[in-house]
Amino acid sequence: MSSGTALASPIAQADEFNPFLAMAERFDVAADFLGLDRGVREVLRNPDRELTVSIPVMMDDGSLRVFKGYRVQHNFVRGPAKGGIRFAPDVHLDEVRALAAWMTWKCSVVNVPFGGGKGGVIVNPRELSMSELERLTRRYTTSIMDILGPDRDVPAPDMNTNEQTMAWFMDTYSMHVRKSTPAIVTGKPLALGGSRGRTEATGRGVMIACREALKKLGMRPENTRTVVQGAGNVGGIGALLLHREGYKVIAISDVTGGVVDEKGLDMPAVRAWIKEHGSLADYKDADHLTGTELLELDCDLLAPCATENQITSQNVERIKARLIVEGANGPTTAAADKQLESRGVLVVPDILANAGGVTVSYFEWVQDRMGYFWTEEIVNSRLEQSMVSAFYDVDKVAKKYGVSMRIAAYILAIDRVATAYRLRGLLS
Amino acid sequence: MSTTIHSPEEQEDLLPHTPPLDEESPFATMMSLFDEAAAKLGVSPDVYQILRKPDREITCSVPVRLDSGQIAVFEGYRVQHNQGLGPFLGPLKLSPTLQLDEIRALAAWMTWKCATLNVPFGGSAGGIRINPLRRSATEIERAVRRYTANMMDVVGPETDIFAPDVASDERLMAWVMDSVSLHVRHTENAVVTGKPIAIGGSQGNMDAVAQGLRTIARLAVDHFQIDPRPRVIVQGAGTVGGNLARLLCESGWRVVGLSDARAAYYNEKGLDVLTLLNHRREHGTLVGAAVEGERLDNAELLTRPCEIYAPCAVANTIHSRNAHLVDARLVLEGAHGPVSARADRILHQRDIPVVPDILANAGGVVLNYFEWVQNRQGLAWLESLVHKRLNRFMTEAWLGVVKSQVEYGVRLRMAANMLAVKRVAHAGALRGIYA
Repeated sequence: MSSGTALASPIAQADEFNPFLAMAERFDVAADFLGLDRGVREVLRNPDRELTVSIPVMMDDGSLRVFKGYRVQHNFVRGPAKGGIRFAPDVHLDEVRALAAWMTWKCSVVNVPFGGGKGGVIVNPRELSMSELERLTRRYTTSIMDILGPDRDVPAPDMNTNEQTMAWFMDTYSMHVRKSTPAIVTGKPLALGGSRGRTEATGRGVMIACREALKKLGMRPENTRTVVQGAGNVGGIGALLLHREGYKVIAISDVTGGVVDEKGLDMPAVRAWIKEHGSLADYKDADHLTGTELLELDCDLLAPCATENQITSQNVERIKARLIVEGANGPTTAAADKQLESRGVLVVPDILANAGGVTVSYFEWVQDRMGYFWTEEIVNSRLEQSMVSAFYDVDKVAKKYGVSMRIAAYILAIDRVATAYRLRGLLS
Repeated sequence: MSTTIHSPEEQEDLLPHTPPLDEESPFATMMSLFDEAAAKLGVSPDVYQILRKPDREITCSVPVRLDSGQIAVFEGYRVQHNQGLGPFLGPLKLSPTLQLDEIRALAAWMTWKCATLNVPFGGSAGGIRINPLRRSATEIERAVRRYTANMMDVVGPETDIFAPDVASDERLMAWVMDSVSLHVRHTENAVVTGKPIAIGGSQGNMDAVAQGLRTIARLAVDHFQIDPRPRVIVQGAGTVGGNLARLLCESGWRVVGLSDARAAYYNEKGLDVLTLLNHRREHGTLVGAAVEGERLDNAELLTRPCEIYAPCAVANTIHSRNAHLVDARLVLEGAHGPVSARADRILHQRDIPVVPDILANAGGVVLNYFEWVQNRQGLAWLESLVHKRLNRFMTEAWLGVVKSQVEYGVRLRMAANMLAVKRVAHAGALRGIYA
């Protein structure tokens, strides 16, 4: 996230670009529709628990450094907390809080039995050696493990953390509790209890969301000129799968810029190029354009799968797509959202469209608990089932309240959490 | 009630899940096979030295009040070799000559076998130095329960899981399950596999090894381009050999030879396997069965022509003095170590591939794993589902071994060993060393 805080800034423009404020605003709108009473609203606005820890690490040169780490558990009523752990220099407790809440809503939308959590360590991982990173990860795990567990809080990779980080996490936890506990984290390597199909899960979820949205609009894949922003695990795999389904993917971009071909790009070739050359920069068989121009191309479907704040009050007027499917978190600002809605553009919101990742994380947890691992076909078919039902759950709410899919997703998510909360009651 | 005392005929049926070991230095011999695999793979010595030693070894005293009223103290062991891939799994062995070093070797063997089959376990082994043939069932029960109580701190469904050493040890497994459950105050059936079905055992346990062998035989026939309806000689008519012969007949293959310890039959056109097995069930032996075919002995049977020779009885069936007489396209190891190391080389020179025991007879380990999964889920799978999934695991293991064989240009046995070492070393490197 570019903005390391969830606090309002004195500059209005900065507020538009603050994804956490955007989320809070949408939360309030949705809560109003639900007629949520003040008490419950107050409960859902605040994290259940926040833990701040100091993490002393012996550096390779023998010196000692102390890092600061957090774990925030926003809500447990639907199940154990679930959410990533990020290592970044600009980690801020407010941001971690907001991301934890975001996880609660995301898990609720796709109806996986988790609450939301998030963790972070203030560190620039590029300055640390592998062994320093390992010691940092293990000490952080030890410091927060009293509030973790397969039935309490299940971390996952996030910014600057990966499979290896999760392997250290799982090993540290297992050694402490004296038993093999792969279900303590998700996003592990396959060899240690990871799930098949996880790497491409978010991209696959985006493809499924596109397909269902197309049906809703009465469009056909072969007539759908598609623009994808981002060429990594979400955008790249998403575009490849869309191409395979018959969509005309006319443009795609990475951090170096984009390529466009009105006749449709040969996606397998584009992927192979990126794999070989590391970026799209010198791709031969298409015209090049900037990332900003790419968003404004004349197309039917736009899938922003890179970073937040891409469609804003600054460029929304020039966005021509009829359908926007958000692969990234928070790519559309609240101000842009209102304009899109008034123009009748369908936006499939991030907490629905990119929830394929958390869904397969959930599958990994299930597989680890039973100790039996599904084939890739089974993982994909269950993901399919989850995404499709979530899509129509949201669609139903949108029709019932006459709201956008985004607000509908929040209404659905908040309603499920609030219902669970009422059923469980207050333990005093 | 005697669960551990068996007639000689029954003895033959009690095929061990564990391989024959060098008498002098079992662990060193076992590991030397894998040292070579690690060297060929180029696993760093740093990482490999961790795999060469067991994680933990426990020795305990097992005091038992004998039926006579006296107290005898037996020695018990549990060795946990490597937990990189998951909790430990290993046999519980009762033997009057049990040695710690032998247990070490079995534990390491289990690590490699689980890794080859891609089941998420590390290897362990344990046992009590007691003579099951000389002790009464009640004495054995008291010994097993006391041993279990001693090991409580290091066993558990996510820590270390017991498996039977021989196929008919299910009563032992029931005692272990009961003892652990009483100690932890809840039903803990996933702590031990090979239980009776009534208390959480799996369907398909009895013929799992044979089912796995059939899958491997089909894949091997395809891979080595052998006649798709091959002639098979099965040596051994017990749990493994008998079931294998039956399953192959059901698949329409020609079982041309079948034997037990006392009699062997050969018929070029195919034997009437069901009559032979029925006879053996009634009389405890194949001697005197009324089927068409030649009557001969095991030594002669080995020399008869066939496409697949499947030794499913004892160790070292094929040795340096008879390996040149084998008249088969392929040897399929149903027993543990039926081909001696020198015979292995001779067969290789004669261009007869050997599908190694670590892969071929691993259906039992896969079933142990399935039972554990079913206990964790609290859901018993139908037999057809067990078979389908067993088939999948055996097929994936076969494909992995063949891939490794092609990649490194080695024999199947070495390819399986290399695959195992690679998987364990990879998991170890990912997890790192935690202090």
